[in-house]
Amino acid sequence: MRVFWLQRLTCCGNTHSFLNYESLHTLFKRFEFLYHPSLSLKAQEETVEELIKSGEGIDILIVEGAVRTDEVETRELCKIAKYVIAVGNCAVYGNIPALADETVCGLSYRFKERRGLLDKDFKSRGGMPVINLSGCPAHPEWIVGTMLMLAEGMEPELDQWGRPKVFYSSLTHWGCTRNEYFEWKVEAEELGSKRGCLFYHFGCRGPLSYSSCNTILWNEVSSKTRAGTPCFGCTEYDFPRLGLWETKQYAGIPAELPIGVSKRGYIMLSGIAKMFAPERLKGEG
Amino acid sequence: MKVENLELPRVEGEARLELFWKDRLIEDARIRINSMRGIERVLVGRHYMDALVITPRVCGICGHAHLIASVRAIEDALGIKPTEKARLVRNITQSLEVLQNHVKWFYLFMMPDFILLEERLRGLYEPFRGERWHIAINMASKIAKGIALFSGQWPHSSYAIPGGITSEPFVKELTSLRQILLELKHFFLSYVVGMEEAEFVKCLKEGSWQKLNGDAGLFLELCHREGLLTLGSSYDRLISGGGLYAPCGYFMKRVVHGRLKVDQIEELNAPSYSGTKPVRYRGMPFETGPLARQLMSGNLMVKSMHKEFKDSFAVRVLARILEVWSIVEVIELWIERLKEVLQEKSTSLGRFPSKATGIGYGIVEAARGTLIHRLSVRNGTIQDYAIITPSQWNLGPRCENFLGVAEKAMVGLKSKLHAQMVLRSFDLCSVCTTH
Ligand code: SF4
Ligand code: SF4
Repeated sequence: MRVFWLQRLTCCGNTHSFLNYESLHTLFKRFEFLYHPSLSLKAQEETVEELIKSGEGIDILIVEGAVRTDEVETRELCKIAKYVIAVGNCAVYGNIPALADETVCGLSYRFKERRGLLDKDFKSRGGMPVINLSGCPAHPEWIVGTMLMLAEGMEPELDQWGRPKVFYSSLTHWGCTRNEYFEWKVEAEELGSKRGCLFYHFGCRGPLSYSSCNTILWNEVSSKTRAGTPCFGCTEYDFPRLGLWETKQYAGIPAELPIGVSKRGYIMLSGIAKMFAPERLKGEG
Repeated sequence: MKVENLELPRVEGEARLELFWKDRLIEDARIRINSMRGIERVLVGRHYMDALVITPRVCGICGHAHLIASVRAIEDALGIKPTEKARLVRNITQSLEVLQNHVKWFYLFMMPDFILLEERLRGLYEPFRGERWHIAINMASKIAKGIALFSGQWPHSSYAIPGGITSEPFVKELTSLRQILLELKHFFLSYVVGMEEAEFVKCLKEGSWQKLNGDAGLFLELCHREGLLTLGSSYDRLISGGGLYAPCGYFMKRVVHGRLKVDQIEELNAPSYSGTKPVRYRGMPFETGPLARQLMSGNLMVKSMHKEFKDSFAVRVLARILEVWSIVEVIELWIERLKEVLQEKSTSLGRFPSKATGIGYGIVEAARGTLIHRLSVRNGTIQDYAIITPSQWNLGPRCENFLGVAEKAMVGLKSKLHAQMVLRSFDLCSVCTTH
């Protein structure tokens, strides 16, 4: 498959995330990279010119970075690609570059609004909408995994935000090593420890964000919450929210509860959980 | 006069180079980088803790340096000190980030240019295919794993907080890191310099750079043939904010000065062609980065080469490669000290004060040189945030009196490939330059 990687307004973090993939050697045998701005010998203009002249299309166009609402070339490239993948929150929702500039957006969205560069009903040559790999950055397994599915002829099923369900149907909370603390409502009172859950005091978005960070680990070894940092919900459209390290509360109840949990249920269960929490989870240990 | 406008491949981000030719020589050069993302503006009005999540997003390859600069600026403003354990761990992860950068830069960004001069090098350095290219990428991602052991992930971790770090590393992380460092040493000795450890250490002591083998040796041989040993010099004024293995100071008129006054660093207004503000120290342009650090720390190999060729293309590149060894050595020292304080707490504070007021600086030696963050907080809210990046020093534009450092280094060159290579020797990063 022929891949073209395009960068727009970006920090290049998704590129460096991608380069962490364990077996790039075999990957580059399966996929021919026509162009990658940080890696290729030739410049982009030259490559695009040759590409258009040759009449051969692109199999996968990967877009990294936010775009401007009037970008002609990006739109043209999307048209000649069989599949288009938006990689990282900037390309999906606009993210940080869009915060300070109204003319900046993602391929399909500007934050939660369907106001991206491409038309609402955009389909690439292969008949799929843009495949969105949100995350700041996206995990290498999500990127490569999606490419491999396309290469195998198995188009990924997408969720309501155009993200492959395989990677975005579970919460960051799944597989977090602090789950037992969450269950028994043993909250971390301080940062800097392996113990305690970060939901109540430190703004952890684990139960509110769709990502597989704790089941497909980062750099094969860890994740934010495993390293004691709250999840900031970087796979969702509202990243980066204001007050990233705080849990907003009303009358002692978190303003936002885990997805699908009612306020009544939360209050009842947490009261009971706290009362019966095993001693070994409390204190220093 | 002929004007040429080039798009630069293999750059972090987007950059264009304008060359002005006269009598087959480059008479003037301008670097155009314009893709602003407005990160400083986004920070104003937010709680200061948000900076720890947002500033790493300035740059995908040196985001960790931004995180550390941010946390230091906050600690400075709030009058907080991290625990010794946290300080050491932060030093280690930030240095590892520099290491992965240098490995990628040399093999993925620098060496492929030589293919355009020597077809036979394809087998080694060709993007996506070359044997060395793959080995280097693999090595870089192992180093990134070393960072993640402590920070949860790389790129874009936010594990440094006022007073310390969020993770609670113990023996297991240290032993895993040690293995990665051993592998990196092996990589460096067998591929980069092509020598046994004892032999390399001896050459280092003698300052005999001519004896280097491996890819560094090949690089020097190619430079010799292409005349690049002497080309690409700039002002030969170098500056280091102090960090990694090097003390702070500056080099000027052949003398090393061991003190640096932060209040003498200023950002000037950008000229019309550039989105970047030039940075000056005592009114003059300085180059920052590995060459500055190596001279400050007295690396004899770099010193002897610098004595012969000043701040030329080849010296700049060699300083960057050799820095890998200097950094591995200092990390080993830090690991030894860390063993002694492993029982300490990860943070001196645990909770961060929600309302706080103050002004603070955070200075870090990032891969490309001195990085400065300055923030002002009132009642917990950021009033002002300013970032001066290493690339602003090196790739920043001209002011009324001086050309930018990289601009100056390209004047007088005879080929556009050479101009691009010289530019790349500064480890071009446009995303940092504009942020
Ligand atoms: S720290 Fe976050 S992800 Fe982990 S258990 Fe608590 S709420 Fe869930
Ligand atoms: S843990 Fe949360 S903030 Fe961190 S990468 Fe995963 S989704 Fe993003």
